[in-house]
Amino acid sequence: MTITEPVQSQTKYTGARIRRTEDPRLLAGRGQYIDDVTVPKMLQAAVLRSPHPHARITGIDTSRARALPGVFDVITGQDLAAVADQQPVIWFPIPEQRIARTHALAVDRVRWVGQAVAAVVATDRYVAEDALELIEVSYELLPVVADLDAALAPDAPKLYDDWPDNVSGSLTYRNGDADEAFASADLVVGGSFSHGRAFGCPLEPRGCIVNWDSFEGTLDVWLSTQSPNLARDLLAEVFDVPVHKIRVRTPHIGGGFGNKFDFYGEEVIAAVLSRRTGRPVKLLEDRAESFVATGHSRDQRLDFEMALSQDGTILGLRGTSYGVLGGALGTVGSGPPWASVLTSMGPYKIPNLELHLKAVVTNRAPYGSYRGWGAPKGNLVHERLIEMAARELGMDRAEIRRKNFPAPEEFPYFTGAIFTYDSGRYADCLDLAMSKVDELGWRERQAEARAEGRHVGIGYSFHIEPSGYGPSRILNLAGLAHSGFDEAVVRMDSGGKVTIYTGQINIGQGTHTIYSQLAADTLGVPMDDVVVVTGDTDSCPYTGYGTGGSRAATLGGAAILRASERLRGKVFRVAAQLLEASPDDLQIDSGTISVRGTSGPSVTTRDVGDAAYRRLLDRLPDDEMPTLEEVDVFDPVNMATSFGCAALLIEVDPETGTVSMLDCLQAHDCGTVINPMLVDGQLAGGLAQAMGGALLEELVYDEEARLRTGSFRDYLLPTATDIPPFHFYHQETPAPDIPGGMKGVGEAGTIAGVSLVASAIDDALTEFGVTVTRFPVTPPRLLEQIREATSHKEGSQ
Amino acid sequence: MNDKQSVSTTINGHVYTADCEPRLTLADFIRHQCGLTGTHLGCEHGVCGACTIMVDGRTARACLMLAVQADGCTITTVEGMADGDRLTPLQEAFWNNHGLQCGFCTPGMLMCATELLESNPDPTATEVRERLSGNLCRCTGYDSIVTSVLDAAEKQRS
Repeated sequence: MTITEPVQSQTKYTGARIRRTEDPRLLAGRGQYIDDVTVPKMLQAAVLRSPHPHARITGIDTSRARALPGVFDVITGQDLAAVADQQPVIWFPIPEQRIARTHALAVDRVRWVGQAVAAVVATDRYVAEDALELIEVSYELLPVVADLDAALAPDAPKLYDDWPDNVSGSLTYRNGDADEAFASADLVVGGSFSHGRAFGCPLEPRGCIVNWDSFEGTLDVWLSTQSPNLARDLLAEVFDVPVHKIRVRTPHIGGGFGNKFDFYGEEVIAAVLSRRTGRPVKLLEDRAESFVATGHSRDQRLDFEMALSQDGTILGLRGTSYGVLGGALGTVGSGPPWASVLTSMGPYKIPNLELHLKAVVTNRAPYGSYRGWGAPKGNLVHERLIEMAARELGMDRAEIRRKNFPAPEEFPYFTGAIFTYDSGRYADCLDLAMSKVDELGWRERQAEARAEGRHVGIGYSFHIEPSGYGPSRILNLAGLAHSGFDEAVVRMDSGGKVTIYTGQINIGQGTHTIYSQLAADTLGVPMDDVVVVTGDTDSCPYTGYGTGGSRAATLGGAAILRASERLRGKVFRVAAQLLEASPDDLQIDSGTISVRGTSGPSVTTRDVGDAAYRRLLDRLPDDEMPTLEEVDVFDPVNMATSFGCAALLIEVDPETGTVSMLDCLQAHDCGTVINPMLVDGQLAGGLAQAMGGALLEELVYDEEARLRTGSFRDYLLPTATDIPPFHFYHQETPAPDIPGGMKGVGEAGTIAGVSLVASAIDDALTEFGVTVTRFPVTPPRLLEQIREATSHKEGSQ
Repeated sequence: MNDKQSVSTTINGHVYTADCEPRLTLADFIRHQCGLTGTHLGCEHGVCGACTIMVDGRTARACLMLAVQADGCTITTVEGMADGDRLTPLQEAFWNNHGLQCGFCTPGMLMCATELLESNPDPTATEVRERLSGNLCRCTGYDSIVTSVLDAAEKQRS
């Protein structure tokens, strides 16, 4: 069934700053995260990881570990491979790509530091870790491929003997005639931009509890995942167990950020251990493990150039994005580097494109999902290049951006490579940001500081966020071995209260609250009458992709809206029987249904529930099925592209290379804002993560491919003193293809934030002529750039 | 190494007594032996602050203490803050100002903010940021946490 009418709601809650229904129990310490879950008879496991980046395993002696009191079992890659397939990959954007897969435990060769080689299950984690120290693994070391250049060197050692080189695959998108555009351009600006390795680093590490019941043939799984249906389908593939025999439940999730979207080897290891011991097995990743076992991201080099005419019109964009993958492909393969190519034109009309992607394997940990999923690097390309062009052309940074935006009437706008942006008022959003920069007095602050000889700069970043991933068949066409729709069930019970069931997962973004807002408005009931149930594949419906790709509000929300709309229709039909009126004449307010325009009798949803479930005689219309429940599946025809313009005030100390972020704002458009307080929270959190990636966070691998930043002492997450205050401003351009008009917002900050910091640093250091291209911009790196710029200037004088 | 020692502590007003291995961390004791899982472990090396609790009236990181060190101590965890189902003004302020998202860092934040407000009932935003700079939050970007603490301070003063 298709709803063609726009959803008519009273919008009592939608758009309001409503505090979250999730919060009281979390504030009281009554949450239930994965390590808070205990299952009867549960054992605990621990994993032994490779200390070497590249080596052949020549032998593993587990006998001493097995003999330790309290140890139930020890397994190696050979044991695991006997019952489990290799780890699945779901994204294949590059045709004929070589897909490097491995088992959850290495069988004969390790290809990154931290790769799992054996696992112990014991009475508790302390004993399991004791036993790890008793396992003896013999390695024969192999030559190492530590970074991108090493991987692409002509005589590079190969990670996979049957490959011709270390390139997993390459792909090119062309639109128009890039060669002609560059030949006829007045100006070409170019750069090599690189983003270091980083990861989402949720504060709660990953974990699972698996109970494999060999008699029932079932797997009962607790998993800290953003994608329970995907995990269930992939467990079924790995073990060749029917999907309906697998139940995946999620507890509270202590942050996801894409890292908990992916499907990890630990869930497979725990399943094997459970099957062998006949006991439920909990396997938690500790913080030290998280740095090598949770998906890494961002690691990319982007060599791009932009062609422009003298008046600032962009004529063409061309370049190559190198994805620095690890020693095996993660769940999403080369998806993120691919997405950075697709977003490299950003919000600008660029008629001529030649975009290359090259995905390369190295002896680093596998590449996975992280909030932003490629788009932060696409943003670096267009935002860095357009600012370089503005400088060369002597144009205002806002003016050159405004000149190249598609006008609102040009939407839907095809970018030239895969994505079609659904709607946008980019210039309005830019103007909104600029006006707020003025209002906040940043320009005066900058002028005053500069008069004192301080280096204060204002940076800008305009971003697009393709959200609501996505139309299932198009995703399949693009190489995804999975779908993108969302399913919801909205049920009114015999007492007239409402329960929403969805496959979306609450990872802290507040889905339970916004879903209650949407359903309460659509049904005309108090928000307190709505509860949301998620996180159980046995009772909750299917979510195509999972909670990722900024889908929760857009697709999950749209399915709930449409189901609620239909349910309201049935509530009215039952109420009409009770009121002896026509359903078309009814209205509902706070759960009370009456005839519009009269002060006559009314009924409540409680009466309707009673008529639909219990006392049906003469009360439920004869042609109505008992119960009050509607199911909706929403598969969008297009994605919803939100956008925003961020600005940042910073100060740089050119003596030390340190950067202080003083104030930050973002003008944003995510279509319909369901709850501005939560939208602001998403924007702020994303920006903070990007600021960490821009200035502090890096998973540093040395020349031997050993990780040098494996703790919070050297992988620096931003703290409260690093992150500035935020100001957010919204405009609403409803998504034309999404019922309710919502667009995604979860990834906005991460996409905009890195180029934003760079823009502000460049501006602060105008007198030196610095252009930041390498991230994170650590103090030593910035100092080096300042010194180089200074000596270059002196040399040219 | 495995000779157990008797540990007796008062947590949120209840006395918990158990025989513990000397190597058992206080965090694991509180979470698994006492069942008070509101104290979260985000790093187990004393950096993230999620496991912050009150030991004898001062904040401490439960992952950096051994259970045996807490013998005879009086401890408050996040479960001991609310009065029944009535949240404290600080907890209310976090709720009203979206001072939490996933909630994992929140117990530690609440502990440190409580200690701050006890010694400084009228802190500036900068003072709040400095006091909370030992507690990592990956979700909020901190600004809403700072707002929450300032809001609680204002309400507590009035």
